[in-house]
Amino acid sequence: MAATAMDHDGGEVVTPGELLGNSSLLAGLGAYADGRCVRASITGHRRLVPPPPGSTDQRSTVEVVGHKAHGAVPQPGSVVIARVTKVMARMASADIMCVDSKAVKEKFTGMIRQQDVRATEIDKVDMFQSYRPGDIVRALLSLGDARAYYLSTAQNELGVVSAQSITGGTLVPISWTEMQCELTGQIEQRKVAKEATIGILDKR
Amino acid sequence: MEYVNPLTGFRVDGRRPNEMRQLKGEVGVVARADGSALFEMGNTRVIAAVYGPREVQNKGQQVNSKDALVRCEYRMADFSTGDRRRKPKGDRRSTEISLVIRQTMEASILTHLMPRSQIDIFVQVLQADGGTRAACINAATLALADAGIPMRDIVTSCSADLNYIEDSAGGPDVTVGFLTKMDKVTLLQMDAKLPMDTFETVMDLAIEGCKAIANYIREVLLENTKRLECQRDH
Repeated sequence: MAATAMDHDGGEVVTPGELLGNSSLLAGLGAYADGRCVRASITGHRRLVPPPPGSTDQRSTVEVVGHKAHGAVPQPGSVVIARVTKVMARMASADIMCVDSKAVKEKFTGMIRQQDVRATEIDKVDMFQSYRPGDIVRALLSLGDARAYYLSTAQNELGVVSAQSITGGTLVPISWTEMQCELTGQIEQRKVAKEATIGILDKR
Repeated sequence: MEYVNPLTGFRVDGRRPNEMRQLKGEVGVVARADGSALFEMGNTRVIAAVYGPREVQNKGQQVNSKDALVRCEYRMADFSTGDRRRKPKGDRRSTEISLVIRQTMEASILTHLMPRSQIDIFVQVLQADGGTRAACINAATLALADAGIPMRDIVTSCSADLNYIEDSAGGPDVTVGFLTKMDKVTLLQMDAKLPMDTFETVMDLAIEGCKAIANYIREVLLENTKRLECQRDH
């Protein structure tokens, strides 16, 4: 906490529209490029970030750290954590809870279509054998239509990360299609996410 | 009707002809909103609340999914004018002002950063004494800045105009919306006819006012940031 506090105090406070620098700087979060100059887009502290060591662009990035971060907004390509709310024959709907590693403030609904559940044999997928309401799913956000975001779990690392069995016990993954109840030993079908990548979640 | 008293040189509300209304701004007045502000310009007093960015509620309104949808609702409190009268919701005047505020704010919000989401701005006039449009835009700007919604610039508005008594008498009223740091006019409204040369002086006056208001809004925001900082450090 002390380190972040120091970072904050480093820069002066700026307000939207204020000039942060010219084209020798890159616009980071809370800033935008307007023709040749970089301006602030939110109220907060101005901060300079040196270019990452290996990058070809040697310009520093200027960003503005505001005091009120608005919740994450899902964007195509981001990995989301969602809770399945409804399973239908051709699709399942899910509420997005996290985008990358940030929790969303507002409700966003996503849709997992039958053809997006897994990468192979996509037309033989049985939705009811892949997801159940209440499952926590890691999914990739592809684009969506006007009603919902389309979520895809067609990768090994994507799928159910946490689920409960019918009896209420925690399900433990035993293969990429099966999970076993801790209490009863009953086996249930799921599209399971590959265990190894749970490390990503632990890092936060 | 005389707008400036020939004997004293003051206007009906006691201001000098070129004097701007007293400004007062306060942020964070509505606890439930993501951002909110109270803005006073003389006797005109406006409260604004901003919600969002959140998921689009009515998908039919979403025109294009690459930009955020900005919605605005303007309302005048029943007690805002001298005669207490129930004002119908969605009458022509408030629909028009809602539209004006929405368009002005949309021009300054970086909508492309928040695709598929919606930002709601609610503006309520608590006390009307001329220049409500301008006060509404300033309050909305302050509330948006408080909500941390990315904007191109602080858009401020000032009307080179009249107070409520003068306004009702049908005098000229020029409202200007202005992006100060970028020197761009985003809104210009005139509700009466003016000769060209008079218009230019009035316009310059309004732009001067916008700049002064922008400085004031920046001050309020800096003050608020510093206050938050003090709270954090303790």
